Amino acid sequence: MRGRGRTAFIISFLAPAVLFYAAFVLWPLVQAFQFSTFRWRGLSARMTPVGGDNYRQLWEDQAFATALKNNLLLLAEAGVVIIALALMVAHVVRGQGPVQKFLRSIYLFPQVVSMVVVAVMWQFIFNPQGLFNAGLRALGLDALTRTWLGESAWALPSVAVAFVWYAVGFYIMLFAAGLEGIPQEVNEAAELDGSKGWHRFCHITWHLLWSVKRVAVTYLVINVMNTFALVYLMTRGGPDRRSEVMLTYLYEQAFVNSNFGYATALAVGNFVVVMGLSLLILFLFRRNPVEARA
Amino acid sequence: MNKTLLLATALAVAILAGCGGPSSSSATASEAPTGEGELKGDLEVMAFEGGYGIDMFQKAAAEFQELHPDLKIKVSGNPRVWEQIRPRMVAGNPPDLMFPGWGMDHWALVAEDQLLPLDAALDTKVGDGTWRDTFDPNMLKLCQKDGKTYMLPYYIMVYGWWYDPAVFEKNGWTPPTTFSELLVLGEKMKAVGVAPMAFQGQYPYYMIEGMLFPWAQGIGGIQAIVDAQNLKPGAWNSPAFLKAAQMIDELNKKGFFLAGSTGMSHTESQTQFLNGKAAMVPCGSWIESEMKEVMPPGASVQYMPVPFSEGSGDPTALLIGVEPWMVPAAAKNPNAAVALYKHMTSLEKAKEFVRTKGTLMTIKGSDQVELPRVLQKPAETVRNAKVVYANLVRQWYPEMWKEFEGGITSMLNGEITPQQFVDRCESAAEKARQNKNLVKYEMSL
Repeated sequence: MRGRGRTAFIISFLAPAVLFYAAFVLWPLVQAFQFSTFRWRGLSARMTPVGGDNYRQLWEDQAFATALKNNLLLLAEAGVVIIALALMVAHVVRGQGPVQKFLRSIYLFPQVVSMVVVAVMWQFIFNPQGLFNAGLRALGLDALTRTWLGESAWALPSVAVAFVWYAVGFYIMLFAAGLEGIPQEVNEAAELDGSKGWHRFCHITWHLLWSVKRVAVTYLVINVMNTFALVYLMTRGGPDRRSEVMLTYLYEQAFVNSNFGYATALAVGNFVVVMGLSLLILFLFRRNPVEARA
Repeated sequence: MNKTLLLATALAVAILAGCGGPSSSSATASEAPTGEGELKGDLEVMAFEGGYGIDMFQKAAAEFQELHPDLKIKVSGNPRVWEQIRPRMVAGNPPDLMFPGWGMDHWALVAEDQLLPLDAALDTKVGDGTWRDTFDPNMLKLCQKDGKTYMLPYYIMVYGWWYDPAVFEKNGWTPPTTFSELLVLGEKMKAVGVAPMAFQGQYPYYMIEGMLFPWAQGIGGIQAIVDAQNLKPGAWNSPAFLKAAQMIDELNKKGFFLAGSTGMSHTESQTQFLNGKAAMVPCGSWIESEMKEVMPPGASVQYMPVPFSEGSGDPTALLIGVEPWMVPAAAKNPNAAVALYKHMTSLEKAKEFVRTKGTLMTIKGSDQVELPRVLQKPAETVRNAKVVYANLVRQWYPEMWKEFEGGITSMLNGEITPQQFVDRCESAAEKARQNKNLVKYEMSL
C-alpha cells in the first residue's frame, strides 16, 4: 500500500516533465528523421519521399566532409588552448589579493557579450588594416602581417582565436569551482608531504578535477560542433570553404539552396557526430580514477 | 541534447503546422487576375524593407485605399521579410502581394507553382497600350519561365564600377573605358600609393558580376553569357570566360587589388574605397544608399561602366538586376493585388519613386525626371545599352554558383590558375546538368 502511494506520487511529479520532454524534444526529433527522408524546398507543402537518398548524398558530399574536418580542427585548435588557458587562469584567480579580485570580476565579460558583437569585433581586429596587423607592424614584424580572414591557411585559426576569447571565461569558471571543491585537507596533506607547485598539480590537482574535466570536455565538444554565428559572421565559411563548419553548410543548404530535406539530413548527421563524440568522452572518462583507487 | 537539430526540427514543425487547413484554397485563384472589375475585401502586402524603406509602398497603398474604399489594405515589411513569408507559403496562407527581397529563392517559388502567372493582367489596357508595354521588355524577360511572366520588376540595380570624382580630378585621372586604359591608369594610381581597386572578397559575386561576366561578354559577345547561363556544355570554360579570368588574374598579379580584399566583407571593402585606400570598387547602384552613414565628409561616388574588354562583344551591353514583386498562387485577393501593383507602377508613381529614393525603375520613361547626380550616368548607360542581361544562374543554381565563388576566391589567393578556375566552373555546370532533380531554366534574348 505504501509502495503504491509512493509510485503514484513519483509519477504525478514526473509526468508533466516527461510529457513536455516528449512533446517538445522527442517528437520533433522523430519528425526530423522523417523530414530527412524527403526532398522538400521548404516553400510549399509539397514533399517528395526519397528514402535514403539524402543520406547517400551526405555520405558523398565533399563540402560536408570539409565542414566536418574544419569542426574537428577547430575543436583541436581551440579546445586544447581553452582547457590549458582555463586551468592556468583558474589557478591565478584564487586568493584574495586585489589582482585576483580584479581578474575574477572580468573573466566572464566575453561570455555576456552577444556572439554577433564578438564576431564583428574580431572581424575588425583581423581586418588587413586592423588592430592585429597594426600591432605586428608596431613591433617591426611587418613580414608576419596577413589577410587573416581571407587566406586559406589562416581563416580557421583566426576564427579559433575569436572562439577561445569568447568561450574561455566559462571554462575558467568551471575549473575555478573545481579547484574550490578540492578538500582543504588534501592540499594540506600534500603540502606536509612536500608536494607543491607543478608536482602537486600533476599528481593531486589534475586527478581531483576529474568530474570537472569531464563536464568541460563534453560541453566544449558540443559547443564547437554547434558553432554557427561566429563563423557565419566572420568569414561566411570562406575563403573557398576553408572555414566552413557543419552548421554554416546546413544553413546554406536550407536557406540559400532551398534544400530543406537535405538540410535536415545534415542536421541529423551533425546530431550523430555530436552524440558519437559525447559518448566517446563518456567512455574515456568512464571511471573516476580517484574513486577507483580509494 | 543537440540544439541545432531541435532548432531545425522546430522550424520545420512550425512551417508544417499550418498545412492542415486552407492550403488547397489556391484553386479559387485559378482564373487569372487582371486587376480590373470590382475591388473589395482585405488586401495584404508584405515587402522587403531595404535601403529604400517601405514608406513609398505604404503611401501608394493609402492613395489606392482612398480610390477604393471597399478595400482594406495592410502593408507590412521588415529587412528580413522573407523569413516570415516562407512559413506562410508552406502553410498556404501567403500575403496577396509580396516583394520578398533578395533572401527569397524566387525561382524555387516558380518551380513549386507557388506564383500566379500575370500575363492576363499584363495584356490589359493601360493608357494607349497594354500594361506590358509600360515595362522595359528586357527586364520583363528576366521574370519569365517558359514564356509565362511569374514576377514583375520594380526598380533596377545597375552594376558597374564606382569612383570618387574629386579624387580622380585631383590626380588628373579619367575613368578608364577599356581594359588597356585600365592597365595604364592603374599603374599611375599605384605610383601615388592608391590601390586601383578594392573588392568584396567575402561576397565573390561582386567580382563575378563586376568583372568576369562583363569581360566574358566583351570578348565572346552576349552569346557567351547566354550559352553559359543555359549550361551549354563547354560554355563556362570557353575562350571568352578563360580570357576574362586571365584578365582578373593579371590585375591581381600586377598588384591592382587592395591588399587583403579577399577577406573583406562588402562594407569593409567599400569603406576602404571611400577612405581613399582604393580608387575604384565594383558594385551595384545601391552603393550610395548603403554607404551614406559612413561616407567621409567630402567623399562622393560616381558610376562608370565596366571597362570594355576589347573583343567582339558589345561595349554597351549592361549587367543589371531586378528584385521582383509577385502574387502568390494562394493569394486570397489576387485581383486587388494586381490592381494595386498597377497603381504602383504607373508612370507617375514610378517617377515619384525615382525622385524620392534615387534609384532607376523598370517602367519606361520613369527616368524623365530631375535625376539625382549619382543616377545620371547609370541612367545614360541603361538608355545606351543595346543589350541588357542579368546574372540568373546565381539564383537558378545556387550550388553551382557557390563553386564559382569558391573558385574565384582560390584564384585570387593564387592557389589555382585561371584555366583551373574555369575548368572548375565547367565541372560544376556539368554536375548541374547531370542532376535530374534540379529544375532547369533558360535565358533568352
